[in-house]
Amino acid sequence: MKKLLLVIPGLVIAGPAAAHSVSARFGEIYSGMLHPVTTLVHLVPWIAMGLLAGCLGPKEARRALVGFPASVAAGALVAPMLPELPWVSFVNMCSFIALGVLVVVSRGISSTLFWTCLVVFGVSHGYANNDALLVGWGLARYVLGLTIAAYVVITLVSAVSTQLLGGQGWGRVAIRAVGSWIVAIGVVFSGYTLMAL
Amino acid sequence: MYRDSKRMIRISATLALPAFLLVAGSAFAHSESGVTGGLVSGLLHPVLGFDHLVAMVAVGLWGAQLEKPAIWLLPITFPMVMAVGALVGLAGLPMPGVEYGIAASAIVLGAAVAGDFKPPLALAAIVVAAFGVFHGHAHGSEIPQAANPLAYGVGFVLSTGLLHLSGILIGLLLKWPWGSIVVRACGVVVAGVGAIALATTTGLLA
Repeated sequence: MKKLLLVIPGLVIAGPAAAHSVSARFGEIYSGMLHPVTTLVHLVPWIAMGLLAGCLGPKEARRALVGFPASVAAGALVAPMLPELPWVSFVNMCSFIALGVLVVVSRGISSTLFWTCLVVFGVSHGYANNDALLVGWGLARYVLGLTIAAYVVITLVSAVSTQLLGGQGWGRVAIRAVGSWIVAIGVVFSGYTLMAL
Repeated sequence: MYRDSKRMIRISATLALPAFLLVAGSAFAHSESGVTGGLVSGLLHPVLGFDHLVAMVAVGLWGAQLEKPAIWLLPITFPMVMAVGALVGLAGLPMPGVEYGIAASAIVLGAAVAGDFKPPLALAAIVVAAFGVFHGHAHGSEIPQAANPLAYGVGFVLSTGLLHLSGILIGLLLKWPWGSIVVRACGVVVAGVGAIALATTTGLLA
């Protein structure tokens, strides 16, 4: 009864919820979160990165949960300080094929090679996701959203990859097949982009 | 230790999923346009051509009959070589007899499944790869017209891969003695569809 009496004043004094935080200066966070996951150019290589992290075992996958979002954040934060680098989009294009091939191979990949790819492609994708119009706290909120997106993608995909590899032999077959699809998508995308130049 | 690590990843994934669902909204503000149209047309392209469809399923069926490592090697080889064919088509380079090649792929792969033909792995991979070029060319030549070329590429590669998977899943019937007969019958159907496609292409069948 006492609890009910406490709830009633709460309901009486409740104002508008202002639930649309996009209009309360959180828009940049949502923008940062959605930018990479609504662009196949970023999403497909990020999925490949997650699969690869899972293929290298839980230890590397756990480290990648921190390493990949940090690399993406670093790329996005450094971008405003640098001139426009057109070759970054070429690096991102290569990330499709390189990561896809590594997923197809999946066994015997050295930790150094994995971390080189993770940092280089993380930074290059972070750079490409930069929003040139934002500065100061707006940029910080945008990068926060971007980092969350990187974390979410790498976590979900590496978890699925680890889970698949922990089961029957079919798991590795499935992951390798997806890797070959990513390579094929990368070849088609790279060819189209280069021919359009 | 390994189990703890796996549990950590599972927990992280569980925590990440609600976050992902919470932020999911209508992504209308992005610069990449035509993704849905490109993806749908890419997904449908291999499915709407019946000769494409049965040949893709036959790759999975044949892989299942040949067992490991062909069961994963053939469906992995095909999309990668198909992408090269798609590039040729994308570049506008003519490839004589593309439709004949696609029809022939259904006949040859269907016959291989129907006859339970078990060649050396390298030969099977070469056969599948060679036909992949024709299928890729047919898909690739449509890319310039796609609403979003990358989404179209994702669509037709996914669709092709899922058709291979369908073949592999049908191939699970091989565990049972009667399953082998069903799979071989599927091969006969595939070869038959290929023969009809070839007859239509050559004008023998109106």
